[in-house]
This record gives sequence, C-alpha cells and structure tokens, in this order.
Amino acid sequence: MSQTNLGENRMSGAFVVSARKRTIQKGMKFAGEGLLFAIASFVAVVVLFIFFFVARDAIPFFQLRGFAEFFTSTSWYPADAPGEFGALAIIYGSAMVTVGSALIAVPLGVAAAICLSDVLPFSVRQYAKPVIEMLAAIPSVAYGFFALVIFAPLLQNFGGPIMMWAWWLIAGPFMILAVIVLADLLTSKDGEQQSGTNVKRVVLSILFSIIALGFLYWVGMSLNAIQVMTGTNALNVSIILSFMALPTIVSVSEDSLQAVGRELREGSYALGATRAETIVKTVLPAASSGILAAVILGIMRALGETMVVWMASGNSSHIPDPWYNYLDSIRTLTATIAGDMGEADQVTGSARYHVLFAMGLLLLIFSFISNLVSERIVVRQRKILSGQ
Amino acid sequence: MPMTAEANTRSAASQGAEGSNREIFLPPERKAVKDGGKPHVTAKNFSIFYGDFEAVKKVNAEVLSRYVTAIIGPSGCGKSTFLRAINRMNDLIPSCHTAGTLMFNGEDIYGKYTDEVLLRKRIGMVFQKPNPFPKSIFDNIAYGPRLHGINDRKTLEGIVEKSLKKAALWDEVSDRLDRNALGLSGGQQQRLCVARALAVEPDILLLDEPTSALDPKATAKIEDLIEELRGSYTILIVTHNMQQASRVSDYTMFFYEGVLVEYAPTKQLFTNPKDQMTEDYITGRFS
Amino acid sequence: MNLGTRKILDRSFTAVGVTSIVLMALALLVVLVPIISGGLKALFFQGTIEHRQLVYNEFGRGDREELERQKEQSQEARRPVFAMLDAFDAELEGMEPAERREYRSQYNHVRDVLHDMLGPLPGDIEPLLLRFQYGNTRWEQAEESLHDLLYVTKWDYSNPNVMAEKYFTPRVDEFQGTALAPLFAYVETHLEEMLLPQPEFYWGFITDRSLDAHIFGGIWAEIQGTFYLAMGAMLFAFPLGVIAAIYFTEYAKDNFLTSMLRSANSTLAGVPSIVFGLFGLAFFINTVKVSESKSVLAGSLTLAIMVLPTIIRAAEEAILAVPKTYREASLGLGATKWRTIVTVILPAALPGIITGAIISLGRAAGETAPIIFTAAVSVGATIGLADVFTEPTPALSWNIYNLASEHEAANEIRHVQYGMVLSLISIVLLLNMSAILLRARISKKLKG
Repeated sequence: MSQTNLGENRMSGAFVVSARKRTIQKGMKFAGEGLLFAIASFVAVVVLFIFFFVARDAIPFFQLRGFAEFFTSTSWYPADAPGEFGALAIIYGSAMVTVGSALIAVPLGVAAAICLSDVLPFSVRQYAKPVIEMLAAIPSVAYGFFALVIFAPLLQNFGGPIMMWAWWLIAGPFMILAVIVLADLLTSKDGEQQSGTNVKRVVLSILFSIIALGFLYWVGMSLNAIQVMTGTNALNVSIILSFMALPTIVSVSEDSLQAVGRELREGSYALGATRAETIVKTVLPAASSGILAAVILGIMRALGETMVVWMASGNSSHIPDPWYNYLDSIRTLTATIAGDMGEADQVTGSARYHVLFAMGLLLLIFSFISNLVSERIVVRQRKILSGQ
Repeated sequence: MPMTAEANTRSAASQGAEGSNREIFLPPERKAVKDGGKPHVTAKNFSIFYGDFEAVKKVNAEVLSRYVTAIIGPSGCGKSTFLRAINRMNDLIPSCHTAGTLMFNGEDIYGKYTDEVLLRKRIGMVFQKPNPFPKSIFDNIAYGPRLHGINDRKTLEGIVEKSLKKAALWDEVSDRLDRNALGLSGGQQQRLCVARALAVEPDILLLDEPTSALDPKATAKIEDLIEELRGSYTILIVTHNMQQASRVSDYTMFFYEGVLVEYAPTKQLFTNPKDQMTEDYITGRFS
Repeated sequence: MNLGTRKILDRSFTAVGVTSIVLMALALLVVLVPIISGGLKALFFQGTIEHRQLVYNEFGRGDREELERQKEQSQEARRPVFAMLDAFDAELEGMEPAERREYRSQYNHVRDVLHDMLGPLPGDIEPLLLRFQYGNTRWEQAEESLHDLLYVTKWDYSNPNVMAEKYFTPRVDEFQGTALAPLFAYVETHLEEMLLPQPEFYWGFITDRSLDAHIFGGIWAEIQGTFYLAMGAMLFAFPLGVIAAIYFTEYAKDNFLTSMLRSANSTLAGVPSIVFGLFGLAFFINTVKVSESKSVLAGSLTLAIMVLPTIIRAAEEAILAVPKTYREASLGLGATKWRTIVTVILPAALPGIITGAIISLGRAAGETAPIIFTAAVSVGATIGLADVFTEPTPALSWNIYNLASEHEAANEIRHVQYGMVLSLISIVLLLNMSAILLRARISKKLKG
C-alpha cells in the first residue's frame, strides 16, 4: 500500500505525481478503507444475524400457540403431548431474582464506587480495584457451584440465624443513625446551630432508641424463627447474582463519579459542606444519569445470567406464595432455555423447541432496549456536565 | 505591628521599609476603609508541603481586613497553594501537610480542634474556572445556607436576592432563578459563584484567578464587583495578571519559588519595589 | 441540622463506603476460600490401597512390589471380615424363613457398605463398572462408609411442626447374638490396616483421563477442551477485533454510520450469554452447518462472537493511548498512514491489546452458556487437534455444572467438582492477573 516511491516520480516533479498514479493511489486507499470498514461492520452484521436467527426460530412458536398463553399462563408442561407453554411464572422468576440482586448490588455498588472515587486514598484504591476485577473474572459456573454446593446447604440449615444476624448487622447501625438524625431534626430550629447538651434531645433519643431496639429485636427474632425449606431458592440466587452484578455497577458508576470534575467538589467544600453532603447533594445528582446507566447494565448482567440460576434456583416453575417469598424455589428464562434445549433440540419443528427461542428473543429485546437506554443516558450526562 | 505585614524576604531593603505606625499606604485614588486594616489572616513561619516538596516556604505575613490583597508571581510559585491553605482546601490532597501557624481572626486554622466545616463557612472561595452546580440558579445560591440549616423558603429567597444583588447579577437573572445555572455565560457563572460564596456570609473572600477563564468584558465586570465588595469583605485574589493586581488591590504579595519575596502596598510594590526579583518580575524580565 | 449530627452523618457515610468495599473483598474470600481448600483436596488427600491399586492398574504408575506387599498386608486384615461374613451366611441358612427375611435386608446393606469400602467381597459377581471394582480410594470416604456401617440412620417425626430430625442407632444392635456381631467392632478398629491410608499427591488429577464418568481419574479431557475452545475463539476474534479497532480509532469519521457501528458493539456486549448459545445453535449448526452437530468449531465461533466487543474495546483504548507525537513523527517522515499504523502505532499499542486479549481468553475459557448447545458434551474422551472441526468436547465449565447437578453420584464426587472449579478459576484468575501485571508495567512505561 505504499503510496510514494522515491525516484520514480521525478518525471512529474518532486511530489506532483501523474494523474494516473494518483488515481491508482486513491483507488487503493479507498479499497483498503473499504476492507477495514467491512471488517469493522462485521459486529453490526453479527448483531443483525443474532436478531434474525433468534427471531426466525421464535416466530413459529407464536404462530403455533399465539401470545396469550405464553404471557399470561403459569402452566409450564412442555413435555406433555399437546404441551402447555405458560411462561408467566418463569418471566416472574427472572424478574424476581433480577430485582432481588439489584436490591443488594445497587446500594452496595454505588457506595463502593463513591468510596473508590472520593474516600479512599490512591494507595488503597490500587488494592481495591483488583478485588473488583477478580469478582468480575470468576466464571459464572464457579459462582453457580458455590451457590449450589456451599451456600445452599448453609442457607437451608442456618437460614434463620443467618438472616437474623444480617438484619442486625445491617439495620442496627442505620437505626442508630436514624435515631440521632430524628432527634436532631425534631429539636433543632431553622438555621440555628446548637451546642451543648439539650435535655429534650437526650430524652427523645432515649425514647427513639428503645423503640428502635424493640423493632430490631422483634424483626430479628421473627427472621430467626423462619425455617428455610430449601437452600436452592430465589434469595440464594439473588445474593450470588449481586456478586456478579457488583463489578459492573461499581466500575461504571465510578467512571461517572470521576467524570464529575474536581471543581464542583471544591465549590461545595468551600461553602462548608462535609464530604457526605458534597457527595449526596452535588456529586451524586450530577452523576445520577451515569449511575442509572450503571444500574441498568448491572441488572442486565443479572437478568442474562444462566449458570447460577440454573444450578441454584431450584428450577420450579411457579410463582412463589406469597409473591414476595424469596425463600421459595423459582425458575428463570435463561435456566429454562439452558435446561430444556437438551430435550427439545432433537425436534426442531416443535413448539417445545421454538418456545425456547421465544424466551431468547424476549431476553434479547430486553437487553437491546436497556443498552440503548443506558447509552443515551451516558451521552446526555456528558452533555449536561459539559454545560450544553 | 508593622503595617505591611512582615515578609520573609530575601532583601534587607524591604524589611527596612516597614513602618512603625499604623499609617496605610494606598494608591492615591483609594480611600482607606472604615474599620479596616486589622490583621485578619496571619501567617507565622507557615510552610506547605506536598510530600517532601516544600511548595510554600516559611511565609510570614498579615492580611489586613476589608482590604483587597493581590497575590502575584510566576506559575508554580505557590501563590494558589497559599490561598487554598487559608480555607484548608489543600486537605483534599492527601500528601499535603503544613508547618508553622496560620491564624484567622486569632484562631489557628490548622489547630487540633479546628473544624474545617465551620472554617470554610467563614471563608468563601471562588475558583479559577466557574463551577456552578448543575442545579438551578436559586439552588446554587441556597446551597450553602441550606447546608447550615436554613430551610425556610422565605428566608432563602431573601438571601438569594441579597447575594445576587451584591454580586451584581440580580438584574440579569432575577426572572429566571429556576433555570439551570449552566445556561449562564462564563462571566455570569463566575459572578454566580461569587454570590454563592457570599450567601453563607463569610468574612473573607478568596479569589483564585477568578478571571483567567473569562473574556475581557466579563473580566471587567468581575473587577468592578471586587471594587464593590472592597470595604465589606477581606479579599484575597490570586492573579496572573499584574495589571489586574494593580487595578483592584490595595496590597500585593509577590511569591517566587514558594518564598514570599515582597509584600507591600500595591502602588509601592509596582512603582518602587524593594527587591530586585520583584522588579524583574513586574518589568517582565521573567515570568 | 446540628453540626455534630452532620459530622456523625459524614463519618457514617465514609463507614458505609468502606464497609461496602470490605464486603466485596469478603464476598470474594467467601467464594474463593472454600473452593480453593476443597479443590486442593482433589490433589492432596489420604489415599487408600484401593487408590494406589487403581492408579497402577489404569495408568501404570506406582511401585509394583510395594503395592503387592501392601495388598498382602491389607488382605491379611480383611480376612477376618470375610470369615465373619461366611459364618453369618451359614447361620442364615439355618434360620427359619421368617427370621431370615428379617435379617436379610439389613445384612444386604452391610454387604453393600463393605463393598463400597473394600471393593468386591468374596462371593460377589465380578462387577462391570469400574466404580464397583474398587473400594474407597479416599480415606475420608472410607470414614463415611464406616459411619454408615456402624450406625442406622433414623428420622424423628415426633414433632409434626418442625422438619424431621435425623438420629443414629448402632447397627450392631440389630445383629446381637449372631456371628456378625463382632464384625462392627472389628472393622472399626482395623479399618486402617484394611485400607492402609497414606498422604497422596495425585497430580494425575490434572493430566489423567477420567474413569467411569469421573468417579475416578482426572480431568485432562476437560482442560484440553477448554483450551481448544478458548484458543479457537481467540483465533477468530483477535484479528477481527484488532482490525475493527484500527478502523474505529484511525479511519472512522464522526458520523451516523460510525455511531451505529459503535452502538452495535455495545449491544453485542450486552447480549445475554445464553442467547449466544441459541444463536450458535440456530446459525452455525442448524443453518450454516459448520458441523453435523455440536463441535469445537461451532463452540469457538460462538465464543468468538461473544468476546469480540471486549477485544475491540480494549484494542481501541490501547491504540488511543499511543501518544500523538509518535503518529506525527512517523507521518512527518513521509510514511503512509497504513505504514504508520503497522510499524509505529500497533507495536506501541501491542501490550495493551494483548492485555485485553488475555482477559477475553479468560472469559472465553470460563463461559458455559454459549457452549451448552454448540460444543460441550458431558462425558467424552480427549480429542485430537484434527477432530475439532467435527467433534464436541468435554469442557471444564460445562462439566462443573454437569457433575454438580446432573451426575448420578454427585455427592460422592464433590472432590472432583471442587478440583474442576479450582482448575477453572486458577486458569481464569492467572490469566487476569498476568493481564493486570502487564497493564501495570505498561502504565509504568508510559509514565517513563
């Protein structure tokens, strides 16, 4: 692809070459770039192909069975002679573990991202980053194995005490904080900086503390009394999935927090804000859209995960009773695809085969939309922060 | 007390220039301000380090209340570092530590029992680049008062109006207080930042090269604003621009390589510098 | 709010942040520690004479004379057991049918457990499956068998409100007064002499083929399969990814088409892994028919598509990190753009690109969902390099699932599962760590 060849062009001048040569050069350049473009657009072609081929095998299902049954029925008996293909419970199971893992991973992940970007000194941060990278690198099947072989028996045998201690350790400190803040808010007047001890506040604090302690104890004991019937349940899966969603949430949120410049932080500190106030009132609002994108990506990771849910969710396709019972077994879309294809793929024409592609299509559409949304959000944040 | 704050100088000449009475040298057109001239910020052998590197070296100086003091010097001379030390903005840099004392109104800024939150409430700061929060104009100004416990809407409205008027921005934005502050022009944003700093009723205003990111027109407005605020607040302004220092300030400090070389009334420093280094700098022989 | 309260909130805020990081580190530890300690047991354990015999018979490793001597020794210790069994057999013959029936099922259980423990007993038919030809190869399994032999497991249903509780009664009670009664005490005291446990380092776990569906033997087939799949994926994805990254960084204009391509890239990165599996099945196998059914090739292609976005992104970042001055210097010397890219930019960006490739390699090695329908089989022998176009292969990731969830003796071969998980995690984490180290070296170099 060499464009100039010294010595050969003397006829036309030092760097003015003949028209013919120039045309050839341009043509070659064009062809080369075209080739590069073709390879680069391979990814787009792959995306189109994925949509096409998954949809191609999904559509026959809806032609055979319509939409109503798939989305509204909870009867999933694909192996029967006519077969029943109600996926509602399965979709619900996917939603349940996704929400469950988000409830754990989002607060933890955002707090960790804040800690990484604003609290920890650089020297410590260097050691925290590989931890997150390792969490992300562990293969999903290893998490699944952990969930099934180690965590599930633990949850089954000691579920009650585990939940009780988790509640006390997590809710306890927050209760104390709530008592302090509440007592403060109820006694301090507008704009008044108080100093010294305030009898009213002390009395209120003690009163609130007693209520809070009673509440903590009562909930803890109720949790302790719960008997976990099976360790392979939605709670187990949610916790493990949250481990897997965490790295995504942390790293994308951290990027977005870093994108909020030093200037804003300094502006807030200079007005006498504490670090917490600076972050909560200035940095987080400015980074909120990026964090939202992080949450969406993290949730997608949990929703699209296969091995953990397949191994440790119990794979029972029913809506738990009551609907929020996380200690019940559930079944998800991904696990159903993975688990049922083994029996279905011999019979390519059957509804049993195509229904799995319908589920895949559902996941695909959902991930596509989430991706678009999170991309738009990030672009918008960049625009807002650059002041446009 | 010497009226020009005592400087850790290299030249004996500038030390000799210290007067013994409280007469204040001012450019002719500048009037003395009422109740001003008291030592407001006092540095004694005050040094600032980044790790092992001594960025500001044993500064001795007194900043006088209600006057405008400019800090000039070539880039990297420690002038910004010194300014940021006054409201402990350098705390945000982990490797940064100090030696000696820096007093504000007779209280130790780096004392063991100093609360930097309360300190920063008393010392307002405006930065090089306008940094309004991505919130409405109103919320920007109300940010500080809200932090310090004022939540009553009426009171806040009063504060916002007063601050914006002081910052000479009220007329331009009074009809769009709920608009995003990032929609303002650069100069307006910077004045908004001044208003935001004024809203918490500080005693001192630190301006860290406030006009370096602005066009000449906006710069003139900010300078007018400084003139306006002179007499009500102690103002310290770091500037790259010597003309600006001579235009807006009553006193000028000249820093070179972390050393406070000369500190004198602005007119004296610019017309009759005692130190050869100062003279070289203001005549443009190096920068 | 009171300043004190504000300060408390500030401290708590910091505490929450630090706690969350600590929790993440703890989560990592909680996952890794049991897997590592469990996995090492696949390599280091107390092996019995049965284990040594198995290794000698199947893989031809071991000291023949020493083995013969030990066999003799253990046989010596086992003889009284067999004698007691014979005596009880004779006793059973002489019993009333009703009484005999009563003893029969208990006795059969005793024989089964002893079979598990010591291998085929005299009088048993020569078993076909390898798993029945040997006794307990691992000492901790032998101890479990011993417990099973000594005690009868019973369930307490007395309280209908809680789950039934397990309890044990001595099995010897059932055989009081028969010729079998002394057997229990004898086995309990002489188990070591019968099985001769000694510490083993079974490195063959990595390099041996599996025997009888992983009941015995190693995991070489899985390791090799994982290697084929991951390398195959990189073979396709790496060149494509790097060229695409060159296009995006050096040639792409800032227009709608480019932003569409970038969007496609991030969409591909977000596609759930199981959907890649569906696509691989529907496209590579059912439509293009790269192979009759599952094959390494189909699996590698599917994995390649999955890791492509990661490689493109890493390569883009690496190319963008090359200082602009390099580019200008080369162009200034009259080099063409393409020449500049090949001779100046790519070499400078190579470490960064390799880092991304290593991480992608780890990801491809660890993924399960895309290969379920395209490449993985549960039980299979190692395949030759020539077979990758047509044959499926066992792989670590898939067989971890398979052995843990679907194997008929999943509970007895936990050590194999742990060993596999540890192998997979070691491969992936070693790859990642080398990438991290490489990256640290690059950033040092760039800093000068």
